[in-house]
Amino acid sequence: MSTPSLVWVRARPAGRSLLSLLLVVAFALSVLAVAGEPVAGSGGAKAAREVLASLLRPDLSLPFLRTVAEATLLTAAYAVAAMTVALAVGIPGALAVSGVLVRRRSARLASVSVVRGLFATVRAIHELVWALLLLIILGPNPIAGVIAIGLPYGATVARVLGERLTDVPAAPLAALTSAGSSPWQTLFYGRLPLAGADLAGYLFYRFECAVRAAAVLSFIGLGGIGFQIQIALADLRFERVWPLLAALLVLVVAVDRLSRYVREAGTV
Amino acid sequence: MSADVHLARRPTPDTPSPPDGDGRAPWLLGPALIVVALAVLVVVGAWAVILTQPTTTLPGLGVTWQRSVDFGRDLLGVDSVGTPAYADRAAWGEVLPLAVDTVVMSVLAVGLAAVGALATIGYSSRLLTVGEFGTHPRLAWPLYLLSRSMHIVARSVPDVVWALLIVFLVRPGILAGALALALHDSGVLGRLGSDVVDNLDRGPLRNLRAAGAGRVAMVAYGVLPQALPRLVTFLLYRWEVIVRATVVVGFITTAGLGYQLRLDLAFRRWTDVALVLLVYVVLVWGVDALSSALRRLAR
Repeated sequence: MSTPSLVWVRARPAGRSLLSLLLVVAFALSVLAVAGEPVAGSGGAKAAREVLASLLRPDLSLPFLRTVAEATLLTAAYAVAAMTVALAVGIPGALAVSGVLVRRRSARLASVSVVRGLFATVRAIHELVWALLLLIILGPNPIAGVIAIGLPYGATVARVLGERLTDVPAAPLAALTSAGSSPWQTLFYGRLPLAGADLAGYLFYRFECAVRAAAVLSFIGLGGIGFQIQIALADLRFERVWPLLAALLVLVVAVDRLSRYVREAGTV
Repeated sequence: MSADVHLARRPTPDTPSPPDGDGRAPWLLGPALIVVALAVLVVVGAWAVILTQPTTTLPGLGVTWQRSVDFGRDLLGVDSVGTPAYADRAAWGEVLPLAVDTVVMSVLAVGLAAVGALATIGYSSRLLTVGEFGTHPRLAWPLYLLSRSMHIVARSVPDVVWALLIVFLVRPGILAGALALALHDSGVLGRLGSDVVDNLDRGPLRNLRAAGAGRVAMVAYGVLPQALPRLVTFLLYRWEVIVRATVVVGFITTAGLGYQLRLDLAFRRWTDVALVLLVYVVLVWGVDALSSALRRLAR
């Protein structure tokens, strides 16, 4: 019994202990920072009871279930449309970010750093904040919601895809280049086949995130599951919240299953 | 050029893939057409739904460009009288404490999510319940299924929706926001964590069991030393995600930069909006840098 523990302690790098200490201290400080605040909400125990009691009698009336189905469809449509925007931004973006198509070294460094900075900024801003900003420009318009999700997701796809394109083994690429292939040919015959296997899985993971993001677009009144949840909560009709949450759950789990299927099929 | 692109759709046209177990056609060649057709159908359908919404309009490029430029000028305060907020010391003095609140909320959220995930990973990992190293034969399946479903529910509901629910129970503020973020993230971390545990090297565990180790000793000496570094890495990654989301959750739980942004947008104080956005982006970059530095420490 003592042997494995000794081995563990000795094999443990010093940085790791320091890190654990830092994390625990940071968490403790954050707890202390809110320790004085009162916890209970305005509704108190009564609201809590109402919320929980409503779990037992969800609203399953036919007209409401229709609303749920329509909201679910709209949320799914937002997610799919946003993913097309994300791919339209992300695929050319990945080529720009990774600089695999530019031969001259100085030109590559310049273009890569400019595009990287731009994408890092786009990515830093949460999709809902984008939605709020785009609403000011485009008005209450579903297109604003699609772009709001698609833009930061496209920047993320660009980064991940770009990293995969540059992190491929060097030898096959060198073989292609020395045989005289152009950067485009190297991309299609070297980089993409080498990087491709798990890309589909990653894109489906982003799609799952897009479904959740689309559900939240409610916040700016663009319809969908989150919008209906917000209405139900504003009217204190908790019994309507649960079927909506269940629909969201089904949607997310369905995409998750699909992604697992694609990943398994893709790695055959 | 066009020939390259054409060939590229089938990266290895001449080498047939090795036949797999059940003799299905290679994935990319056979059913690919059906998959592509379905995907196109779904995409077209989705855009049809979006474009037929009653509020959908397709503004012209010129108008949109003009409005974007105007909005940019508003944010920079080009035409406004008085000092823009981002050049005003007092405005910075108001926003920076809110940035601190936001960081506190995110750290609290990550910590709570980690506690929630660590408390349940032991039950949601196949390996330690119904798998090779499971004990408690009678309770294993119920515990496994229960904790798995808890993770799925926690993960499927977005943090913002959790926040909408939580403000009914907990006083709006930093804690309510942190709880909402932590709930969603405990589901994410729980799933990642149980995957880590399930993919552990089984050797040390088998040795421990052969030496007569009990459940606690197995977890302490076999699971944690292998799994913790990976978990900490995930935790730091999630911190980057959470900091971005903190602003949005703050809209609802009236805390930190998010609430300030909501107020500034509502009152059309554009240069204040610019200031909050600036602090927000710098904060996200700072956390990204700190997190990757700490991750290097974990290695």
